[in-house]
Amino acid sequence: MVELVPTLLRQELARLAEDDLRLDGRGRWEGREVSLETDCLYNAEGSAKVVMGDTIVYAGIKFELRTPWPDRPTQGSLMCGAELRPVAHRKYEPGPPSPQSIELGRVVDRGIRESGCIDMESLCIVPGEKVWGVMIDIHVLSDGGNIFDACGLAAIAALRTAVVPAERFDVGEDYTLKVNGTPIMASFTRVGGRYIYDPSEEEELGGDERIHITLGDEGHLHSLQKGLRGVFTPAEFAEIFEVAHQRCTELRELVANQEGN
Amino acid sequence: MGGYGDVQLLRDDGLRLDGRKIDEMRPVTVEAGVLPAADGSAMVTHGLNVAVAAVYGPMEAHPRKIQRQDRAVIDVRYNMAPFSTSDRIRPGYNRRSREISKVTAEALESVVLVERYPRSKIRVEIEILAAEAGTRCVGITAAAVALADAGIPMRDLIVGVASGKVEDTVVLDLDKAEDNYGQADLPVGILPNTGEIAFLQMDGDLSPEEFNLAMEYNFKAAGEIHEIMVDALKRRYEGGEN
Repeated sequence: MVELVPTLLRQELARLAEDDLRLDGRGRWEGREVSLETDCLYNAEGSAKVVMGDTIVYAGIKFELRTPWPDRPTQGSLMCGAELRPVAHRKYEPGPPSPQSIELGRVVDRGIRESGCIDMESLCIVPGEKVWGVMIDIHVLSDGGNIFDACGLAAIAALRTAVVPAERFDVGEDYTLKVNGTPIMASFTRVGGRYIYDPSEEEELGGDERIHITLGDEGHLHSLQKGLRGVFTPAEFAEIFEVAHQRCTELRELVANQEGN
Repeated sequence: MGGYGDVQLLRDDGLRLDGRKIDEMRPVTVEAGVLPAADGSAMVTHGLNVAVAAVYGPMEAHPRKIQRQDRAVIDVRYNMAPFSTSDRIRPGYNRRSREISKVTAEALESVVLVERYPRSKIRVEIEILAAEAGTRCVGITAAAVALADAGIPMRDLIVGVASGKVEDTVVLDLDKAEDNYGQADLPVGILPNTGEIAFLQMDGDLSPEEFNLAMEYNFKAAGEIHEIMVDALKRRYEGGEN
């Protein structure tokens, strides 16, 4: 579907930006309310639902037994895929995975993989013969803006509740998947000329390029991605990097609190 | 239908494995308006099944070759999430989901007043998040509530429900074990107000008497689910807001 970018919306966003305002009244670095629910899908080995404003995302974890790669006989594997199905917005059409959904899945994948929160060696059952493949599937049900952060949060929250279904595969007893850390993504979009955190659907429609930052527990960078047309300065990045630290810490606490319950 | 004899599906006290009576359905919950991006939406849980439906439109139908000069077309996509079943499903359309999408679309086209919207398209997306037998029926129920939530005029709220046969006994609303090891499955889409049927499939083995009994169970259950659907829509629009 052709996305018509309303000139009026762009003008309005630029006008608001002059007074450092946003369409929905939020501050520049203010996120929408986030609600997180885990263990919410019966057949998934781990699951999470994230609601961020009008954005709704589910993530589900499944395990598969597979033979390891020949060059890594003692390592399991991790795969993360996101689907932008037509259910999520009128702009999404059926068909093979779109470039957007591939980018989305891969950015989330990198943040989790590169944080090292999953020890691939721990997924080995019989070296050279049998290892676990961990599959993270992300299902976007409603795109109300900033699906990247919602997907990243749902994926790690689901992963952290996952139980390895060893009994079903006849390789021992079920056990909780060991996840060392909670990588969190924070996304920024240029709207009205300056960056804002957690763009809404309208801000994405009338905005420009976006930057996604995934941070680990110690505040280390694990994944960066710039998307769409546009450029930014090191000073701009330094500014949003600071904000990313704060927002990621808050969301990490949300995940911890959810697990504490 | 699956195996024979070796799996006991009815207990010695005449109840089913999950403790239900022969003509008892699993608990059903319905919520309307769950997806902000959609024009209409609904979430239905039916036992352990979870289905979400979104409606977009009516909108311009394209490519133009799908346009009908005298009515709207309904484009249904039934899809199971990769994590909805015990073994992961590879994402993407398969023959089963294509067939279910097609017959579901035809059922909905029989209920929606499609003549009101010539040359347009109504998109219905059905996503199964958790599957535990009977997902096509749960999907139809969710689609009906989503269409109503989108304000699209219909003859009735169509209800998806199934009966079947296990151990030579007709039972209402098969669960997973009963579906796998039972002898027949009869999923239908019922219009409770008019008493009509807009969706019908069946596989397995049923005598004419068994068929009639299964249908009787289906109609009884459809009435119950219909009330839950209407309540959900009333809850959504109470106070006249939205």
